[in-house]
Amino acid sequence: MRRLVVVLLALVSAARLGAAPDPAPELLVFGAASLTESLEDLGRSYAAKTGQRVAFSFGASSDLARQIQAGAPADVFFSADTAKMDALEKAGLIRAATRREFLSNALVVVVPASAATKIASASDLPGLSRVAVGDPAAVPVGVYAKKWLTGLGLWEKLEPKIVPTLDVRAALAAVESGAVPAAIVYRTDAAITKSVRIAYTVENGPEILYSVAPLNSSKHPSEADAFVAFLAGPAGREEFEKRGFLVRPPKP
Amino acid sequence: MEAPSDVSILLLTLRVAAIATLAILPFGILFAWRLSRRAGPGRTLAETALSLPLVLPPTAVGLLLLEALRRSGPLGRLLDGMGIEVLFTWKAVVLATAVMSFPLLVRPARTAFEDVDPRLLAMGRSLGCGPFAVFRRVALPLAWRGLLSGTLLAFSRALGEFGATIMIAGNIPGRTQTMALAIFQRTHIGQDEAALRLVGVTVALSFAIVWTSEIVTRRRSRRTEA
Repeated sequence: MRRLVVVLLALVSAARLGAAPDPAPELLVFGAASLTESLEDLGRSYAAKTGQRVAFSFGASSDLARQIQAGAPADVFFSADTAKMDALEKAGLIRAATRREFLSNALVVVVPASAATKIASASDLPGLSRVAVGDPAAVPVGVYAKKWLTGLGLWEKLEPKIVPTLDVRAALAAVESGAVPAAIVYRTDAAITKSVRIAYTVENGPEILYSVAPLNSSKHPSEADAFVAFLAGPAGREEFEKRGFLVRPPKP
Repeated sequence: MEAPSDVSILLLTLRVAAIATLAILPFGILFAWRLSRRAGPGRTLAETALSLPLVLPPTAVGLLLLEALRRSGPLGRLLDGMGIEVLFTWKAVVLATAVMSFPLLVRPARTAFEDVDPRLLAMGRSLGCGPFAVFRRVALPLAWRGLLSGTLLAFSRALGEFGATIMIAGNIPGRTQTMALAIFQRTHIGQDEAALRLVGVTVALSFAIVWTSEIVTRRRSRRTEA
C-alpha cells in the first residue's frame, strides 16, 4: 500500500510540473495557417518593441472560427477570408469597428521541385492523379480553389482527384513529401520551402482577402486593438510584403 | 513567441495527465467500491455507461463534451456566468483526458474490490466498523494493487489522449498542445523529423510507466498471501 502512496505523491508532483499552462497576460492570436511565418516574425518584433508577448495558434481559418464560436479564449482572429469573419461578426463575437482588411494573396499550383510536371493551364489539372487542397467544404484556400475551378467549368472533372486536407500547409506538406503530385496553395506558402516549385500561377481567380479583428471576449481589449493596429501598420505591411503577400493601401 | 520546446510540451503533457488522474481518483475509487458491492440491472447499466469512453470514438466523446460546454449550451452558460473558461484552455485537456481515462481506473479497481473476501468485510462490520471504516481499514489495504494499476493505466491513457482533446481543447502551442497533439501538428505541416523526436520521447515515457507499473504491482505471489 505504500507503493500506492508513493505513486500518488509522484502524480502530485507531476501535477505541479512546468510553467503554468496559461501564462499571464499574453495575447493569444488565432491565425490562418498561411500567415504562420509572418505573424510569428511580427509577434517577435512586437514583443521586442512593446514588451507585450503574443502567442499564436495557427490552423485553417474555418477551424479557428469554429473554435472561437465555441468559446475559445483568443484575443485576435486573422482569417484568410472574409466569410468566416462575417459569420463571427454576425454572431457578435468580434469588435467590428476595429476589423481590418488589407491583405491579399494569389493561388498557385505547386509540384515537387524534382518533378517534371508541366501545367500550362488549369485544364491540365484533371490530368493529374491527385491534387491536394485545403478541404473545399470549409478551408478558405479550398473554397477559393473551388470557386476558381467552378468558374472555369473544371470543378466536376477535378473533384474526384481532390485530396482534401485540414489546412493549406497540410496540402503543401503532402507535395513536399511526394505523397501527392500537386497541390493548390497560396503563393506565399510555396515560398517557404525549397522542395516544391510553382508550376502554375492563377490569374483572374477569385478575390482573396484576409480579415483581422479583435474578439469581443478578449480580456485585454486595448492590447488586442493595439496589436491589430500594429499588423495593419507600416511594420506589418512591410513584413507581409516581404513574404510575398499583396498589401492593399490603407482605406481612407 | 517561439514554438514550445519538446521539453515544455512534455512537461505540459505530464502535468495535465497527472491533474486529470488525481481528479478522477476519488470518484473512480468510490464508484468502483459501490459497483463492487451491488448487483442487479442498475449495476450493469452503470457499468455499461461507464465503459462507453473505452469503445466510442474519442472524437464522439469530444463532440458530446463540446456541445455540453459550448458558450450557448446550458453548462457553458453556467460556467461562463461563474467566470470559468474551460473550452480551448488547459482545463479542457484535463476534462477530455479525465473522461477518457475514467473507465481505465474504475475497471481494475472494481475487480480488486470484488476480489476482497466478503467474509472479511463482514468480520470488520461485526467488530463494530462503520461502512467507511470497513472500506478504509479492510477493503483498501487488500485492494491497493488493483487501485494502483488502475491509476497507472488511467495516467498512461491520459498522456496519450488525442481525439477528445483536439475537439474541445484545440491544438494551441504552449497551452493545450500535448505530445499527441504536437506529433499530429508537426506531421501535418511536414516536420516529420521533429514529430519523430517527440515520438521517441513518448515511447521512452510510456516504456518507463509500463515498467514502473509492472514493478509496483508485481510480487503478488509472495505478498498477497502474507
